[in-house]
Amino acid sequence: MATQETQILDDVIATSRRRMLTLGLTSLAGVAVGAAAPFTNVAAASYTDADILNFALNLEYLEANFYYLAAFGTTIDKANTASTAAGAPLITLSGTVGTAGTVSGGSQVPFTTIQVASYAIETAVEEGKHVQLLLGALGSSAVAQPAINLGTSFPALAAAAKIPGGSGFSPYASDEAFLVGAYVFEDVGVTAYHGAAPLLTSSANLTTAAGILAVEAYHAGLIRTTINYIDPAGTSIASYTNLISALRASLSQAGLLGAAPSAYDVNPDDFGLANFSVELAGGGGANATRLTDADSTNVIAFARNTTQVLNIVTGGGAVNGTTQVSPAMGVFFPAGLNAGPNGFR
Amino acid sequence: MLDTLNELIKTGVSRRKFLAGVGASAGTLAAVNLAGCGGTSHAKSTGTGSTTYTDADILNFALNLEYLEATFYLYAATGAGLDASDTTPGSASSYQTVGTVTPGDAAAVPGLTAAQQAILNEIAFEEQAHVRFLRSALGSAAVPMPDIDLSFFGPLAVAATITTAATGDGSFNPFSSFDYFLVGSFIFEDVGVTAYSGAAPLISPAGVSAGYLTAAAGIMAVEAYHAGYVRTSLTGRAIAAGSESAYPYLAAANLVEDLRATLTVGDSAAPSTSGSVETLLTLPTSLTTPSSIVAASASDAVGFARTVNQVLHIVYGSPTVGVKSGGFFPSGVNSIFATTSA
Repeated sequence: MATQETQILDDVIATSRRRMLTLGLTSLAGVAVGAAAPFTNVAAASYTDADILNFALNLEYLEANFYYLAAFGTTIDKANTASTAAGAPLITLSGTVGTAGTVSGGSQVPFTTIQVASYAIETAVEEGKHVQLLLGALGSSAVAQPAINLGTSFPALAAAAKIPGGSGFSPYASDEAFLVGAYVFEDVGVTAYHGAAPLLTSSANLTTAAGILAVEAYHAGLIRTTINYIDPAGTSIASYTNLISALRASLSQAGLLGAAPSAYDVNPDDFGLANFSVELAGGGGANATRLTDADSTNVIAFARNTTQVLNIVTGGGAVNGTTQVSPAMGVFFPAGLNAGPNGFR
Repeated sequence: MLDTLNELIKTGVSRRKFLAGVGASAGTLAAVNLAGCGGTSHAKSTGTGSTTYTDADILNFALNLEYLEATFYLYAATGAGLDASDTTPGSASSYQTVGTVTPGDAAAVPGLTAAQQAILNEIAFEEQAHVRFLRSALGSAAVPMPDIDLSFFGPLAVAATITTAATGDGSFNPFSSFDYFLVGSFIFEDVGVTAYSGAAPLISPAGVSAGYLTAAAGIMAVEAYHAGYVRTSLTGRAIAAGSESAYPYLAAANLVEDLRATLTVGDSAAPSTSGSVETLLTLPTSLTTPSSIVAASASDAVGFARTVNQVLHIVYGSPTVGVKSGGFFPSGVNSIFATTSA
């Protein structure tokens, strides 16, 4: 099918994207309008689309197991009555690259409202499908499911975020606690896919990554909307989102390793649900919610590079001062992520 | 979908080739002046008849949609549309006439709680910011706001067979209550997501380097946050009401999806059937039934995309080929993609 012309085009596309990574941002024309793409902090530009998709797969393993445990009380590789009834895919853990680990912690949430229960079930099914899709796409290149901590990781993170009573926090305790737990993940998924999408060289992968990015943003909108409806005054769980976002922003900033921030790496690059003042046409300030996690000027969702994302999901394990630590370990990934030789961990 | 990714890479099938599906060769280069955009024309996969376009053409098409969304949300939040300074043409634009807004019933939505007003304020602000961002990115190439007809909601509701019986209290007017507003915004939000998802891969290599792909992906994510909000609100309020008959707005939104599917020529499968780019809302009735917040493929939970042409059919409210205006855009969009072609 491919003609010489399309081969050349593809080379141009690939080359231009790779160059973004290695040259940094100052060479990019888009800086003038604040549209510069973020770049990954890796020395070698020898990674492939498979390395990027495997990075995403690690995050999907994490998310899917969290939602399966909360909604069904089981992990993604073990069906039970609840997961089967919901049509959640039973995942065959076919990935072999790296070291397979176990999932610890987590239990079915004793949901009391149809709203939150139905959202949990829907999200579990969709995250399961993402794992299935990526495993199928990567085939023999897929990474194994790494060790994942969905138990003690949450209270450790909640305490670090200074959530009241954080050291005793469990996202499996109630509808409200589950929403807070889900909040920890969803906006991060958006920033990770947003950061990764422009690095992909294959058109099919780009289209798919954009589609998954949209789904992660639907999920994030769902979670933020529901928290806002439960706590519109911001006195309980909505206030926790501000603390979580502040922690994520801090970890993300550290993940820049001292590099100058781009338009997308402004600090903070994460906002909780606290209302803010906006100026609408006709002038005058207006009180607005923050159901969208985006910058206040152009309102474009944030993007993060892989080190920033690693530093968040390992609770600071990816950075020592301005030096990258690899493999990053901690919090949700006690043994680190799995990756190929040129992958991200 | 990705099974052959390595083959795609190895054989050098370009993403534009992939999207076009046919080997359209690069045509003559259009001379469009750009401020900050790569000015290289490239050949098509927009689903329209245009053979060449630039990144500016893609961004300007998006700008037309943002003009519409921002106008709608600003009216709903404040009772007035965009500032005049946000509607003017760039000096190098082929379009130099600023359009007018036919407001119809457009007005600040009455009876909102403070929390609801804050939500409307947020979305209005964010769509306004997208207008300003795209105008800034396009610079002198920015098209002006086209004529916008907000009275089209009425005929659209009739076409969708959203009746008084369906919504229970009067004729369809998205500015009359919070619930009607949700249905009105529902018309746009999933479409915005799919429009950006469809357009992002059309951006040229130079545009990718310039950060436009990242920007488009980031705006798409914001549209998906908004869509998530609208679908969550409709679903949550229906659950609270207890039944579809007690909350007819859920069914009304699904009628909008049916209409969009009918209008989306080339991908007009009924919602929730194979080939559809729509996901119908559902009413969860127990602690063990899933909701249907996310609009994505049933097989692998990947969000949908629409071509430029498919989006045009929806905003013009017409499935007909060769239409260059109508619906929300009574004089057409200010774009080389103004005419439906398939």
